[in-house]
Amino acid sequence: MPNQSYPLTEEVMSDFKVLHRDSGRVSILELKGYLDAHTAPKLEDAIQSLIAAKRYHIVVNCKDLSYISSAGLGVFMAFIEDVRNNKGDIKLSNMSPKVYNVFDLLGFPLLYDIAKDESEAIKKFVQMAK
Amino acid sequence: MNLRRIATLVGAMLLGVLVLGLDVLRYSVDLDVAWLLVVRDLMVIAAFVLLYLFLELSEKERSDNTIRGIGLILIAGIVVSIATAVVALATDVEPFEAKEGILLPLSFRTIFVATFINFSLGLFSILLFRLLHGLVLYKRKRGTKRNLTIQIVLMLCASVSTIGVPPLERNILTTILFGLAVASMVLNSFRLSWIVYLTRREKVFSLVYGFLLFGLLTVLNIITRGGIMNQLLLYHSSPMREFSSLALIFGNIYFGMAFVSTLFHLPTAEEFERKTTEITSLHNLGKLINQVFDFNELVDTVTSMTLQVCEAKACWLEILQGRDEGSERRPRTIKGMSLRTMTGGRLVHVVGMKNIGMSDIERLLPFSEHTLRDSVIEERKPVVVDSLSKDRRVKASAQGAKPTGSLVVVPLVSHSEMIGILYATKETEFGFFKDDVDVISAFADQATIALENSRLIDQSLERERLTQEMMLAQEMQKRLLPQSLPRFPVLQLDAVSTPAFEVGGDYYDFALLKNDRLGIVVGDVSGKGVSAAFYMSEVKGIFQSLSKICSSPRELLLAANEALAGSIDRRSFVSLIYSVVDLNTGTLTLSRAGHCPMILAKASGVTYIRPSGMGLGLCEGAAFADAIEEQVIRLDPGDVCVFYTDGVTEARRGEDEFGYERLLECIKVTRVLNATEVKNRILDTVKSFSSNEIIQDDLTLVVLKWHGSDAHAQSVVPVNGGSNE
Repeated sequence: MPNQSYPLTEEVMSDFKVLHRDSGRVSILELKGYLDAHTAPKLEDAIQSLIAAKRYHIVVNCKDLSYISSAGLGVFMAFIEDVRNNKGDIKLSNMSPKVYNVFDLLGFPLLYDIAKDESEAIKKFVQMAK
Repeated sequence: MNLRRIATLVGAMLLGVLVLGLDVLRYSVDLDVAWLLVVRDLMVIAAFVLLYLFLELSEKERSDNTIRGIGLILIAGIVVSIATAVVALATDVEPFEAKEGILLPLSFRTIFVATFINFSLGLFSILLFRLLHGLVLYKRKRGTKRNLTIQIVLMLCASVSTIGVPPLERNILTTILFGLAVASMVLNSFRLSWIVYLTRREKVFSLVYGFLLFGLLTVLNIITRGGIMNQLLLYHSSPMREFSSLALIFGNIYFGMAFVSTLFHLPTAEEFERKTTEITSLHNLGKLINQVFDFNELVDTVTSMTLQVCEAKACWLEILQGRDEGSERRPRTIKGMSLRTMTGGRLVHVVGMKNIGMSDIERLLPFSEHTLRDSVIEERKPVVVDSLSKDRRVKASAQGAKPTGSLVVVPLVSHSEMIGILYATKETEFGFFKDDVDVISAFADQATIALENSRLIDQSLERERLTQEMMLAQEMQKRLLPQSLPRFPVLQLDAVSTPAFEVGGDYYDFALLKNDRLGIVVGDVSGKGVSAAFYMSEVKGIFQSLSKICSSPRELLLAANEALAGSIDRRSFVSLIYSVVDLNTGTLTLSRAGHCPMILAKASGVTYIRPSGMGLGLCEGAAFADAIEEQVIRLDPGDVCVFYTDGVTEARRGEDEFGYERLLECIKVTRVLNATEVKNRILDTVKSFSSNEIIQDDLTLVVLKWHGSDAHAQSVVPVNGGSNE
């Protein structure tokens, strides 16, 4: 979990982006760049606003996520209970091996649905609905 | 009294007595010697010079109080006049006989009277002259000193020119010098600048004293220039008579001028005094800026000075707190502080109230409505309300009554940011003139600087305090880590832990267990800094208590998860790796709660030992228990086990991470070294890898080197964990 005191905080901040897309009932958040203690609030805000809009079917696409720290992992922990209580889920997809390793070390695959790609994650939501 | 003073005084008295003796001798025996008269004159002059020196030596420092000096001279003048008058009355009607321009006394009495009168008047003249000298030089300009010196020289010349001349014969030179001296006196009498700096009260005194002195000196002048008095003085010493006479005339002219000048200054005295007070107050406030750092004290000073300077009835200060400002500008403890929310959500702290209460302020400028306050905030310019009762900007109170008097509102602007507003009210209408507003504005500027300074100082003190606290916390946390390494013949240990900040979330510990077993734990709390440090200390507590109870690593992790679940924040978690080494058999049992895998370096190769697991605090109950595996390893002599936190693998160089491969390589080559060397080599490698980067994460390393004698099977034997086995 580096980067809290990364000298170019501003740049690191701008190095992280959350893109939001909808595909039917499923909301897709695409993460780009570094997710750490500094940038985590961005993701938090994004998920928060989805919950506020009662969109509980969330896929987080990690295709361009280059790094995730423990604070970044904490964001998912913060919301999962809420989302699942509302019969939704947060599914993760398109992880690079490096990012997957971080999730895996902590045992996240046991708690979260980690799909190979985005369409697979969406499919799982569709199946769940049936 | 020092020696010189005594000498001068005694000298003057001796000369006086000598002259008196000479006079008596002259009276008794007919001494018709011309040079004797010159010597006598010189003796009298010498006596007065010594008197002058005596006074000069006695008065070390001239007092600043001009009025007091003038008053004292007035009293001295009156005393001398009365004494002279009394003595003169006792004189014979016809005291002298004139003979060839020389006065011959007709009785001893006359001699004594003349001596007394001349000395008392001479002394008074010297005192008067010294005072005038000081007044003329009060404010020196070019030529002031020169003109006065010319006058003194003329006076002395006029005086000296009479030496040896028979008293009743008037020398033309003396007359000319006398006239010139008087002319220069008139010139010097325009030096009256001391009057300007008097307070109003002092000016009134100056007026009275000036008038009385003028009168007194006129009378003295008239008396001494004719009749018996003139004769007595002339008889005793013409030079001294000349000098006294000139000094009296100087005093006469000077105080006459002073009287008129004071009269003209009187109407502006109040204004002048006010300006002086303003300047003094501003100056004082400026000084205070460097002295008062306490916010409350400062506010108090500012408002009370405002009251004083513009003679306002009431005064108060409001400190604004912006919308986007944090608690930074919030003044901490403020005496009688009141908080009010204003339109626009700005917080206003009303402070330093003088002669006015919160309810009065609320009535005058309601916080809930748009008032003058808001216009001043918007325009940042001072506003004067000349008549509160008539002004439209002031609303009537609930009772329908409007307040009376006048009000001035001045903004406090620092670096283009409004920090507060200063208010002052008067009971009278049209109470604040333009220059009042100028002064209050100047005051507000000074106050702004002072308040900002006080805030900045508070801030840096606060920062200092926090730094101290953090240093303390760092010390505390260091003590939470093992202070010494356990030592055994069968294995060697070494460890290091460095937080990225003052405190961190990394943890390692050892526990001596039953049946010659050693527990080694390494952990990492998610996040960094203070919050992580708190959880770290909690983890330590949990580990210390559970390690005694739980027989296996897996059991401990399950119990630790239950213990942490209640207190840990939803988005935080703890990763932990716990291994128990049997010191007799060399078996290492390992469980991993989401932590970085252990590295096992054997002769046959270096591998990561990664039993499945899950971070503590992520989930509870069976799901967690299912996730935790236990693995058993047989250690052979020379084997090295390395536990670490992600500060090692995630050390950065630009975009690049140190990673697991580099760590493995590093241990592969250092395996043969002892535990301390292995630890140092890893640290060095990590440090040189990220040479240009600051340490970004807490970093912990624990290295175990197994020496145990008897070798066992060397394969890694995974023992299936999980509760279902």
